[in-house]
Amino acid sequence: MGAVQWLLKKITKVFGRSTNSLFYTLLYREILKEINEITENEEDSILILREIGKKAATESCERHSGVFKWMPGSPKKVLDYFELLWVVVFGKELAEGDLDYEEIHKEGSKYNDYIIKIKTCPICAGYGLDDKDTFDFQKIKNVETEGFASGLTGMLESVANFILKIKKNDYRINIVEQKCMAKDEHCLQFVCKIYDTVEWKELSSIGVQDRLKSGVKFEEIEEEEIIQETKLDIIDKLQEVLSLDKIEDLLDQPLEGVKEKVAEIIQDKLNMEPAHFFDYFRNYEDDMIRIMGFLTIHLLNEYGGFVEKLLNNETFAKIAGYFFNQLKEFTFLFIPIDVINDYHQLLISFLDGLAPIEMVENIRKFSGKDDIKFIFEGAQMALENLGIDFSEIKENIWEELRKERENGLISSEQSMIDKTEEKFPKFIKIIQELLMLFSEILTLPVRVLISESHYGLKTAVNSIVSEEEGLFGRIKDRVDIIFDYIQEIRR
Amino acid sequence: MNYTRKELVQSEATMNQIRNGIYHLERFMKNNGITEIRERFRRMGQNIAYTYIKFWKPIDSINKSNVKDVIATLYKNILNSSVSIDFDDTQRLIIVKDNDCPLCKYQYEDVQIAACEIIAAMVAEFVFLVNKESIPQSSFSLEALDIKESRTLGNKSCIQMYKYYEERI
Repeated sequence: MGAVQWLLKKITKVFGRSTNSLFYTLLYREILKEINEITENEEDSILILREIGKKAATESCERHSGVFKWMPGSPKKVLDYFELLWVVVFGKELAEGDLDYEEIHKEGSKYNDYIIKIKTCPICAGYGLDDKDTFDFQKIKNVETEGFASGLTGMLESVANFILKIKKNDYRINIVEQKCMAKDEHCLQFVCKIYDTVEWKELSSIGVQDRLKSGVKFEEIEEEEIIQETKLDIIDKLQEVLSLDKIEDLLDQPLEGVKEKVAEIIQDKLNMEPAHFFDYFRNYEDDMIRIMGFLTIHLLNEYGGFVEKLLNNETFAKIAGYFFNQLKEFTFLFIPIDVINDYHQLLISFLDGLAPIEMVENIRKFSGKDDIKFIFEGAQMALENLGIDFSEIKENIWEELRKERENGLISSEQSMIDKTEEKFPKFIKIIQELLMLFSEILTLPVRVLISESHYGLKTAVNSIVSEEEGLFGRIKDRVDIIFDYIQEIRR
Repeated sequence: MNYTRKELVQSEATMNQIRNGIYHLERFMKNNGITEIRERFRRMGQNIAYTYIKFWKPIDSINKSNVKDVIATLYKNILNSSVSIDFDDTQRLIIVKDNDCPLCKYQYEDVQIAACEIIAAMVAEFVFLVNKESIPQSSFSLEALDIKESRTLGNKSCIQMYKYYEERI
């Protein structure tokens, strides 16, 4: 999976409003039942559910159209990104090996057809076992009628076609649910067909209203005019740029070299000026820095998914959460502010000349402390994404040691922490304060050490010829060995 | 082997699209002359609770002393919402304020019934179903009274009102 696809998937999950999956599934079931109450015709209900799914997704895409500019612009690529489409629509990642993909050759056509099989379908999970699962799929006689996931299919189709529209591509994708587990079939299966403008218009010429047998009224989405294809495809080109080997090349070069290289890549691969590219982040500079923190954690996790696996364990997740919170607090204690500000200056120097002046000025307004704060915020989002529930983490580790409430309920009182603190043995508080005091005293030599090494490193980098060359590679090798050992221990 | 509903309790799904879908359902109802949309939304909420409780319930018995925590737990575990809850003992009201309601986010000029009717009905039904099975049986119950404010209707947050009864209604 490319870096951008992976990043978009993570970001989509982190920034979406989620609820429990069972609530989602039952709400979806109820929507279908209510439609059926009106149509009293199961085949019509499935069709209307699909159309409601299409409308709902289109509305959502229009609100967040900026996000989709980063997606690929060709139908084939959009289908390659099916897993991402699934996450955008459903907010839930597919389990490994759950998705099978088959290309069906289509004679005389620019694009082939595609069959996508998904082994597990949350929509159909346990359907038919409850008294309230009253929508009867056995009443559907027409083999062409879709299944329970028709609403989801409509959403997927709309998102895919919205991407193609926004990328000014004149092809469209038709996604149809072919197999449904609620209809006793062994998997969820979609067939995806790609049509050009003329074919798509022909396909859409028979409106939903004309296909409904029950006489209910349904307002359809009006298809907007298709804009001609252009050659601009940012995301595909960025995918080439964002591979790890390219990033490593960049890391080997000093600042000016890096700047030149970045400018070259943006001009060459994206056909745009660096200032134009960075303009995408103008007024979102804080988010750009947050993404750096977010990416760092996820890049660490990309190494065998070790972080995610570790955080699957509730105890480890809590320990990591406390460690992270402590690290946040200690960063400013241990790293001298001059050093932090130097790195902030480095960021400004990097962007100066590459990014629009306004953006550089905006970043200049931040302090080094702000940068660190944003990076930690981004990192926290990534850690939440990987399994740490920060809302469950108490103000300090001592509170964690206290006995949990016996009934397992969540307190509705905002001031519960204060109340329990009163009851909390005072001596533990004293230990905590003593530890903090020792930590603060200990920061002094560490600050001196960091300052020395920082300025030492600065001198070394500024006078560098070849001594430092290969250092990054050696560190990487050592980290590789450490990961190998960890893997062996885990086995 | 497909997921079970019990497994779904452990995972999360994004509401962005389905939230819009509910309002398209409401428009579909209106276009087809359905006038009792509120009642239909409430029926949806009750049905959700009916099935949901078979896979998870917050506690074995609900009474006035724990109902606040029960409501906070229901909103947190099912809807991922952190709500503030107030009691009005004189009128026997429970007022729940959700600043990040999963079913209401954008204002719709053409919509009169907010989807948090579904949530209010679900919560009240949960309380009813828990106490129906409780031993000894608790007579405490909730009635979803009104959606006082909703982001769908242009307010800053959603406020769901419940009336509580300490004897069976």
